[in-house]
Amino acid sequence: MSRPISSWAAETSAIFAKEWRSELRTRYALNTVGLFAFTTLVVVSMALGPIGASPEARQFLPVLLWLILLFAASAGLPRTFVHEEEIHTATALRLAARPVSLFCGKALYNLTLILALELLIAPLFAAMLQMPVAHPARLAVVLAGGGYGLAIGSTLIAAMVAQARARGPLFAVLAFPVLLPLLKFAIEATLAASLGETTGATLSLILLYDATLTVASLMLFPAIWNP
Amino acid sequence: MTASDDALPAPLTTLTFDGLRRNFGRLPVLRGVSGTVESRQLLLISGSNGSGKSTLLRCLAGLLSPQRGTIECRVEGKLLDVEDRRRALGFVSPDLELYPELTTLENLEFFSRLRGVDPLRGGELLDEIGLPRDRAAGALSSGMTQRLRWVWALLHQPPILLLDEPFQNLDKNGRADVLRMLNRHLETGLAVVANPDHLELPHVASHLVLGG
Repeated sequence: MSRPISSWAAETSAIFAKEWRSELRTRYALNTVGLFAFTTLVVVSMALGPIGASPEARQFLPVLLWLILLFAASAGLPRTFVHEEEIHTATALRLAARPVSLFCGKALYNLTLILALELLIAPLFAAMLQMPVAHPARLAVVLAGGGYGLAIGSTLIAAMVAQARARGPLFAVLAFPVLLPLLKFAIEATLAASLGETTGATLSLILLYDATLTVASLMLFPAIWNP
Repeated sequence: MTASDDALPAPLTTLTFDGLRRNFGRLPVLRGVSGTVESRQLLLISGSNGSGKSTLLRCLAGLLSPQRGTIECRVEGKLLDVEDRRRALGFVSPDLELYPELTTLENLEFFSRLRGVDPLRGGELLDEIGLPRDRAAGALSSGMTQRLRWVWALLHQPPILLLDEPFQNLDKNGRADVLRMLNRHLETGLAVVANPDHLELPHVASHLVLGG
């Protein structure tokens, strides 16, 4: 039974709104992601100091930034689907929502969460570790592109993990091969943007990765959600 | 008067399943179960614990795939695929919960938007069954939670109701309320009920007993 795009959009926005309403009531992901990112940032800053002042050490800063973002995302984003299984709301959702609408609504929620995290952490990171930012606009585009890939990948992997019993270690095991190329491109592009070099080629790779992952996720998700 | 005038009108909705088999690991739970039910009829399923009543209902709901056998569901003559079947039915089950941090009304408004139903209907059903609109679903008693499951299942006026232990935790008034709702549903729709409580149910067309 084909459905109009307006119906798909209404379902997606309903799921997105429900996710944020639930999150603002429980604050689980906000607290977990925010606290993890902030604590890690403070530890890194205290241990290494303002290493951005040293030209030799600058190349390591994007690595640290993306590791903080990755681990903070890993701590909170898988909850989108795992929580549905844990509190037994997944059955109601399976019966009421189209899989594609569900995926889009959850991915959109994860994307806004990770963009908010980047908005909070990236300026603090640059300030505390004295990371040079030669092209702030390019850096913002790289962070948005990397964050999008992280959100889509995390949503898809979270759906797989939610079906399994050993949920804790499984997210890390599945996320590693899926997100590794994205992290490599994002680190390279972040370094280039911070040093004022051209980011065009690497940014294209990030966007290509994002597009591929989006298409693959939309195709795979219905089979993962309704095995 | 022609022969077609004499014939009964074709049922709006039919649900037929044939030779359903489902194992969990090596344990066979459903062993070739068959049945059929149509509009204005109720199929009663009974059997001892572990006989496969809930598994059968989950297969019919499209939540679990049978390893063998076929399920055919027609609504207004149209054969539904498994995705449309999921959305065309109402399901009451002990495994089904709504969001505990949202109020009863917020839960129903959310599912109304997913199902393309008038958002006011949830509030009307809550009033009819005597549930508060503004209480968090997680703060309801077990009997109230069961009433909320019924409201959730009937929210989109589904042609098919699948009911797994639908009367559990309900008091006398609660049972009367949901039986009234079931009667109203059976004026046009069909129902499959896994009922271990041996209650008198309306419109029972056939009775399927699953072996333990």
